[in-house]
Amino acid sequence: MRKKASLSRIVIAIVCSLAAIATVYPMYYVLIMSISDPMEVVKGNIFFWPRGLYLGSYRVIMSDIQMWRSAGYSVFYVASGTLLMLLTSVLLAYPLTCPHLYGRKPVSVYLVITMYFSGGIIPSFLLYNALGIYNTIWAMILPGYSIWFVMLVRTYFATIPRELSEAAFMDGANNYRTLWKIYLPLAKPVLAVVAIYSIVGIWNSWFGALIYLADKSIHPLQLYLQRVLIAQSVDLTKIDQYTDRTVMEELVRKTLTARQLKYAMIIFVSAPIIMVYPMFQKHFIKGVMLGSLKG
Amino acid sequence: MMMPVLVIIFIFSYIPLFGLVIAFQNYVPGSDFFGPAAHWAGLKNFTAFINSYYFGRIMKNTIVLSLMGLAMGFWVPIVFALLVNELWNARFKKIIQTVSYLPYFVSMVVVAGMILTFIANDGLVPKMAALFGWRITSLNTNARLFPWLYTFTNVWKSFGWGSILYLSTISSIDQQLYEVAYIDGADRWRQVVHITIPHMVPLIAIQLIFAVGALMNSNSELILLMYNPSVYSTADVIGTYTYREGLIGGRFSYGTASNMLMSVMSFILVFAANGISRRVADFSLW
Repeated sequence: MRKKASLSRIVIAIVCSLAAIATVYPMYYVLIMSISDPMEVVKGNIFFWPRGLYLGSYRVIMSDIQMWRSAGYSVFYVASGTLLMLLTSVLLAYPLTCPHLYGRKPVSVYLVITMYFSGGIIPSFLLYNALGIYNTIWAMILPGYSIWFVMLVRTYFATIPRELSEAAFMDGANNYRTLWKIYLPLAKPVLAVVAIYSIVGIWNSWFGALIYLADKSIHPLQLYLQRVLIAQSVDLTKIDQYTDRTVMEELVRKTLTARQLKYAMIIFVSAPIIMVYPMFQKHFIKGVMLGSLKG
Repeated sequence: MMMPVLVIIFIFSYIPLFGLVIAFQNYVPGSDFFGPAAHWAGLKNFTAFINSYYFGRIMKNTIVLSLMGLAMGFWVPIVFALLVNELWNARFKKIIQTVSYLPYFVSMVVVAGMILTFIANDGLVPKMAALFGWRITSLNTNARLFPWLYTFTNVWKSFGWGSILYLSTISSIDQQLYEVAYIDGADRWRQVVHITIPHMVPLIAIQLIFAVGALMNSNSELILLMYNPSVYSTADVIGTYTYREGLIGGRFSYGTASNMLMSVMSFILVFAANGISRRVADFSLW
């Protein structure tokens, strides 16, 4: 296809650029506001460039112990949750691909029903209470399965030739060894997809914690953010970790509006994901494709 | 091998289904679900919900928000995919795509937080409006504005991700078709209309069925993050109502009943959408 600099092509390029800019601008605005001089932030003339350079907001944010604790718990929830997701998906998908296993159809139906019917948040809440896991970390780890992932892995497993597992059986391997030595190594792409979706999903989740965790100290990071940004129940200007401030620093610190601190926190929390996600583009694009093919 | 997982699934997915019976009872924490001590109330909770002041409001809001989302959000990923497909510089194309995925990865809490600070009285939006000489205040308590904010946020957050599927479909079209069309004298516009779009129709149909089936679902989490009592009249949907009245308010039976009612309606809708599509377009999901 030859390259023509026709008017329509230029217009298309401009429209795409505008869309990209519209996508990025909100975060960009938050970024420049968070590093600008606090006086300018209060005046509010900042639209395209930061005015003055001031990193004090980040210094305050980074001394916020609550945030670090929540982040730590989030990391824990993500790690345990993802591991559990992988485990449950594989343990369910593998037997479902064995053609000689009885009861495959009923189990499939059993699984699919849960995709369409659910009790809702109130019966689940009562269940958690009855199980005694309300307000514990287990409430965040426990369910740990997603039928969607099971279907995804099962579809992928089905594409692995039966001859491989048959050869393994003839060599005396039982189901677990076959799964471990043959299927799992071959299934790395789909496992990567499950892992990435899990990580992103669990990291960004907050509603479960809102319902089940009354103890603020085990809140995941997103719920802490919700308290800071939405419920406004956390006053960032009260973070006070420095006892050796000069008078000048004290004055400056007092002008730090909660707004700028919030912006700094937004950037601080989102930056890791933003810097990392481009590297995994290939995987989650593949995941979208695999997901759309599920029967 | 499956047993442990099946047991876990039973506990967390099926037992709550048993819990649905409290919709038919006057449930008080501590009372039994079954047996002689349960306080049965028949359909009382359901009728109370339907007759309540809030039922109409919730139905209206759910449908309005979903329809707005559909009208303004359904076509954006499609058009975006078509536009991006036209870009000839591979690196520019990749950059645009990568950038468009950014909102998907930013968490909902952060996005809602940003929007709320932008529309605050000293936030970005009033400041920008001031450049044009407009004075705008109290945006976050403006009930008429909420649907637009919600829809805009939803579309902004998902259009890049949504375009992935469409772009993959487009890229799987046989390039020879385009070359043949070019030889036959079709310009790019005709090529798109007569080759690209027809190939996308099955996917668009599937997405449309899903979207209509999900009409009764709203992004309750986002609404929960963005709303406040002043905008309940246009923002309150079943998810938020169940959370507020049912869970926090302690009206367990009532909340379960109202949620269940909407779930059933949603389910019927999915079936209906699928059935209609099968009759009219000879195309269905199952």
